[in-house]
Amino acid sequence: MKLSEIAQVIRSKNAGPRRLTFDIMFGSDADYQRVAQSPAISAEVIGGLYDVPPAEVTIFPYPVGRAIKIVLARKIMAGDPGDFDVYGAQQHAPLLGIEL
Amino acid sequence: MSASGRVLADLRAHRRPLRLLGASGQLGYGVPTPAFNAGLARKPDMIGCDMGSIDIGPTYLGKGEMATSPESTRRDLRKVLLGARSLDVPLIIGSAGSAGAAAHLDATLALVRDIARTDGLSFRMAVIRADIDRPMLVQSIRAGRVTGLDDMPALTEDDVVQAANIVGQMGTGPFRAALEMDVDVIIAGRACDTGIFAALPTVLGFPTGLSVHMAKIIECASLCCVPGGRDPILAILDDEGFILESMNPDRRATPISVAAHSLYEQSDPFTVHEPDGALDLTNAQYVAVDDRRARVSGAAWHDSTDPTIKLEGACKVGERAILIAGSADPRFIAQGKDLLPKVAIVVRDLVCEDTPEDYTLRFRVYGVDGVRMVVPAGEAMPGEVFLMAECIAPTRERASEVVRTCKQFLLHYGYPGRLSTAGNIAFPFTPPEISVGPAYRFNIYHLLHVDDVDALFPVVVEQL
Repeated sequence: MKLSEIAQVIRSKNAGPRRLTFDIMFGSDADYQRVAQSPAISAEVIGGLYDVPPAEVTIFPYPVGRAIKIVLARKIMAGDPGDFDVYGAQQHAPLLGIEL
Repeated sequence: MSASGRVLADLRAHRRPLRLLGASGQLGYGVPTPAFNAGLARKPDMIGCDMGSIDIGPTYLGKGEMATSPESTRRDLRKVLLGARSLDVPLIIGSAGSAGAAAHLDATLALVRDIARTDGLSFRMAVIRADIDRPMLVQSIRAGRVTGLDDMPALTEDDVVQAANIVGQMGTGPFRAALEMDVDVIIAGRACDTGIFAALPTVLGFPTGLSVHMAKIIECASLCCVPGGRDPILAILDDEGFILESMNPDRRATPISVAAHSLYEQSDPFTVHEPDGALDLTNAQYVAVDDRRARVSGAAWHDSTDPTIKLEGACKVGERAILIAGSADPRFIAQGKDLLPKVAIVVRDLVCEDTPEDYTLRFRVYGVDGVRMVVPAGEAMPGEVFLMAECIAPTRERASEVVRTCKQFLLHYGYPGRLSTAGNIAFPFTPPEISVGPAYRFNIYHLLHVDDVDALFPVVVEQL
């Protein structure tokens, strides 16, 4: 099953102009637990998808919000010449196809 | 007595839960009238609006321009001013004019004064500026009291000189000071969004953790609800927690939706750093009051031993011009990656014949690699692409020269296997070249370590 088939929300946004944050939210505790306990959402997998070292990927399980948060550094500061997504709102796509 | 004096005296004489209306998280993009009026009917003790953010990028800060249109900004300001005056409660607006520097604050104040004049309103207004004094900042750099945020390189004195505007995010203190000055309206430059809503409860002695947590949620209006939206939200705060209720009956604040809001645009869902301390959500609890109201409790506050002010500055990097076009030619699309740099060389050889290469020229091929950080290898090519060339040059004329030249040689560039020899690209209209205006980047995103977090943000009162 792909992540996009079980999550209710998969989104990205800036957390300040130098960080990108991803929120993956679920409709039930069971769905949340299934993904939170899966090795598919790991620093290695996320780092591979975004071409950043796993050590620079932070993952927060957030059970009270039935969500998983991922934070990584932007390669280009928001709004710098060469930036391609000033708000960081369209960087979620690589997460959609993660196989659980 | 003015509104803040009246509300403070009332609450100090008769302690009761405090009612706060979060009217807008982005004042100037529209405040839904039915929900705002529903909020007024609930007799809030204050109305607050956030008006700015760093998310919109460096150009508004650098250029001193609002992101919202003057017309929609005036409409929103008028709505919240008239509402607050009708109830005689304080109206608090933070990060005026999108980026909160002097130009943004002054443009907002000009609108407020014009509304007061045309609507015959009379009130006392506190104005809090957020611009950072450059000689002070240089002294602070020399004293080692400025540090980079999120791996930002060390701030240099040249950065301070180059920045078009520099602001600091004020905390709750300056808003508290303004409330104590017996005013009706408070309009602040760049500010932490929490300051807008945490000032009144903390000045009255409500717990700081709860006040700041509540503030962090309602500054986004009804975004914490399902479905999220920009309708005003009411918070009712007591000493043990607060209840959230959207003023649009179709939006429900549920324990999950409110808890999940702590994720939004934050790099840590459990901690929010403020100038004078940190909000700790480790033990926050969210319970349903009913189908569309949630009660929140448990947030803690830790005073900081190292108070800091977050600084933002933007410097000009040049003038931007773009070319927009499309292509439906499979061979052109397939070869784009190799072909576009060759076009750039043709352009350079022409425009640099008697001038140095003083510009940057970038291509984005939407449909192929325009948006994503990393494009997986071996993706199928699309049937059409949108193509944008972007030039940043020292002058508007130079940027225009580069993209106009680029347009012509991109149109007619010959490449191996080319079939469409009359032109490689389609223009949706002509001219397809657009001068966008000055381009900026954030060159200051740092923490200023201070002894007094409020001293940089003086409050001035004006009678309208």
